[in-house]
Amino acid sequence: MNFSFLTKYWQFYLIGAKNTILLAVLAVAFGTTIGITLALMKLSKRAPLRFVATAYIEFIRGTPLLVQLFIIYYGLQAIGIRFPDSPWISAAIGMNFSDFMSGVITLGINSGAYVGEIFRAGIQAVDKGQMEAARSLGMPHGMAMREIIIPQAIRNILPALGNEFIVVIKESSIVSIIGIADLMYKADTIRGNTFQPFEPLLVAALIYFLMTFPLSKLLAHVERRMRAGD
Amino acid sequence: MIKTLDLRKSFGKLPVLNGITNEFAKGEVSVIIGPSGSGKSTFLRCLNLLEAPTSGTVIFEGVDITKAGHDLDLHRRKMGMVFQLFNLFPHMTVLENVTLAPRKLRGLSVEESKDAAMVLLRRVGLEEKAAAYPSQLSGGQKQRIAIVRALAMQPDVMLFDEPTSALDPEMVGEVLDVMKNLAAEGMTMIVVTHEMRFAREVGTRVLFMDEGLIAEEGPPEKLFGSPENPRTREFLRKVL
Repeated sequence: MNFSFLTKYWQFYLIGAKNTILLAVLAVAFGTTIGITLALMKLSKRAPLRFVATAYIEFIRGTPLLVQLFIIYYGLQAIGIRFPDSPWISAAIGMNFSDFMSGVITLGINSGAYVGEIFRAGIQAVDKGQMEAARSLGMPHGMAMREIIIPQAIRNILPALGNEFIVVIKESSIVSIIGIADLMYKADTIRGNTFQPFEPLLVAALIYFLMTFPLSKLLAHVERRMRAGD
Repeated sequence: MIKTLDLRKSFGKLPVLNGITNEFAKGEVSVIIGPSGSGKSTFLRCLNLLEAPTSGTVIFEGVDITKAGHDLDLHRRKMGMVFQLFNLFPHMTVLENVTLAPRKLRGLSVEESKDAAMVLLRRVGLEEKAAAYPSQLSGGQKQRIAIVRALAMQPDVMLFDEPTSALDPEMVGEVLDVMKNLAAEGMTMIVVTHEMRFAREVGTRVLFMDEGLIAEEGPPEKLFGSPENPRTREFLRKVL
């Protein structure tokens, strides 16, 4: 084992980790937005909305993330759809913004399907009497959802949602394939530069673990405290 | 105040209400009694359309609320409802439970809604619980808060769906006392209950439901004293 490459390349890891976190945070934010929308559609009275949401969720969950990434990255470009490039933002994040957005959007679209199911289950787990009480006071359906149902649903699903965040951090490594300079990409660059096949990736794995492990500990803590509050 | 015309409800193929025509007048305390499965709760829940009737009409304050095309929420604000299982909002304090709807729907300020809530909480003897969460309250306290929450909307009528059925026996009294006071103040009330003493003492009118119909109704002394319907007699013999 020879880790001397770290003295020369440690900054690669730092930048890669920063980009991975940025990617995961944006993807989760985007995915959560999609997820809430999908959950509300799936619980809607209107059959077409339910159908679209169900089809989306089933299709996304039933196809590989890598295929989805290639469809978004290569496929959409081929038919003339391209995410707007911004030299200013590209410079700020040290990555090609258009490529970066392909990654964020793919991960968000993918995660949204899973988050949608998490939200749907969380909303359905809220006691039916809660909606009835809210409606009996004269609250419109939307207000009852916002004020009464969704806050309780979020409490129910916080652990599952946190877990999804961890999954996204790990799965985001796949975007290295389209050249987004995330942690995986940087580790692979070091591997190529140093001709060391093993140690650079070992360090990357350790950094991924250092991101996900405290997060899962934090989640367990939050979960325990929430249960104590009930 | 509330009138129903040939109100019917079935769950799938199971008929629950078989055409109820009745009228609840202002200031009346109507108590609905009857065996389980007779449709009492369903009937009550049809009055504010928490349960959509299969057919028939509900007229509230002169308006047919079963007809499409008007804002049901506005009418519901005038009909308070108290549930068997309280249905307090567990993620909010008692004060937030009581003030949420008045703030959002009646346009009260935080201060106004709080003052009004404290007056009501004091009336049920729970002002010191304003900052507590529902999980910290006993069943009787929860139900008293649920009554206050409904009252905070200043309803014209209060619907009670078996308000004491989920309570430990020693807590039934405190909830019934609140309801008695409410009746004494002249609130229009429709109460589904198994508390025969309450029906007799507080009710101005008792309705006996059986198989989705109102089999018999009258003032409590009449209905309990000399019931005419054999089904009423049989039921009263069992519960009294």
